[in-house]
Amino acid sequence: MNCEEAKLDLPEYLSHSLNEARELEFAAHIAGCDACRSETERLGSLWKGLSLLPGTMPSPGAEVRERFYESLTAYKHGMASAKPTWRERFAAFWPAVAFAGLAMGVGIGYVARPAGVAQNNGSEVAQLRGEVNSMRQMVALSLMQQQSAGERLRGVSWAYRAEPSDTEVLSALLTTVNNDASVNVRMAAVDALHAFGRSPVTRTAIVQSIPKQTSPLVQIALIDLLVDLKVAEAAPDLKKLSADQSIDASVRERANWALGRLLQ
Amino acid sequence: MAAVSAGEVQKLAVLFERHHRGLFRYFVSMNRSREASEDLVQDVFFRMLRYRASYDAKQSFTAWMYQIARNASVDQAQRRRGEVIGIEEFADRRADGAPGPEESAAQTQDLKLLRQALDRLPPDKREILVLSRFEGMKHEELAKVLDCEVGTVKVRVYRAMRALEQAYSALIGEKTA
Repeated sequence: MNCEEAKLDLPEYLSHSLNEARELEFAAHIAGCDACRSETERLGSLWKGLSLLPGTMPSPGAEVRERFYESLTAYKHGMASAKPTWRERFAAFWPAVAFAGLAMGVGIGYVARPAGVAQNNGSEVAQLRGEVNSMRQMVALSLMQQQSAGERLRGVSWAYRAEPSDTEVLSALLTTVNNDASVNVRMAAVDALHAFGRSPVTRTAIVQSIPKQTSPLVQIALIDLLVDLKVAEAAPDLKKLSADQSIDASVRERANWALGRLLQ
Repeated sequence: MAAVSAGEVQKLAVLFERHHRGLFRYFVSMNRSREASEDLVQDVFFRMLRYRASYDAKQSFTAWMYQIARNASVDQAQRRRGEVIGIEEFADRRADGAPGPEESAAQTQDLKLLRQALDRLPPDKREILVLSRFEGMKHEELAKVLDCEVGTVKVRVYRAMRALEQAYSALIGEKTA
């Protein structure tokens, strides 16, 4: 072993990860080479020090673990609500499909094929559409449960792509409107509720949410939504709001204005 | 990870408990920001879920995880380009919060200097030392993570050690001057 080779083996020698023969060669080299022995001692001391450094470093905060388990639960929930993909289904049924195709080819004859293909295409498109919808739902639901407000906003924007009949996305949006820590996310979720406005659940939930809100901005957005959706049955609640002195003055004014619009 | 890859995503919790501190140390060593490092730890485990199908059980899990960690770090740096990131000073402490009997004041001082020397290294040199010494990665694993030959890793680790020695000596010189 020469000095050049010894230098390259030095870190592994210090980590005791050289094989026995190589380690012996290294030891023999430094026994006869002052420069390499001195370097091994100097760097060896730093190498040992490096192994002690992690003990002097900060540990991650407890909330890292909390966030991880929350996110994992959300992900599992998202996975459970997602249907198997078109490819997975195709792979599962491939032997049957192959057999059916063969039987068709032999028994029915080539002329029957165009009609069968057209039918398969139709059901495949429907299946794909269903899968796309469930993927959109999964993405929206997963993102709405993220820690970062930016991610949750993305989740809300995905909710626009969900079907208006999707009760899971509606439920997630209502939870966001009522509980999200960020006013911006809550406001975005209120806007996204427009698409679900036909559902009586949405209409009742909007009315119930207004007094729970701590932000006048969100309260006003909810009142505007009631007007947009023409929720006339909200009139008694709006009357109460407009008379409640504990509520922000601008909210009371807006409730009054909404009453006028709904009772026209 | 093979179980996670096969769909048993709840087993990711085992990997989280085993590796999140090491990942955090790696990120803190590279960016000196607790907040950014905590976000990156989350990001890495999310990416593991997202890309679990790409995991090859024949390869080192640690190498795969640190490949993801490096990508996450690069992505975050790009997102934060232009932002001013506060460099945090972390108090000296052991992981269990109490000084060990073997830990003399002189040793504590030496470790402080060593950490400062490590911080002074260029990121590529700091990274290879952190991965190899803090995380105990073998040269073969490092070659995977850094996408280079094992021979190159040997050269790079040696050079990083020499650079650390120089930085450490310079700090001692500054202290005694």
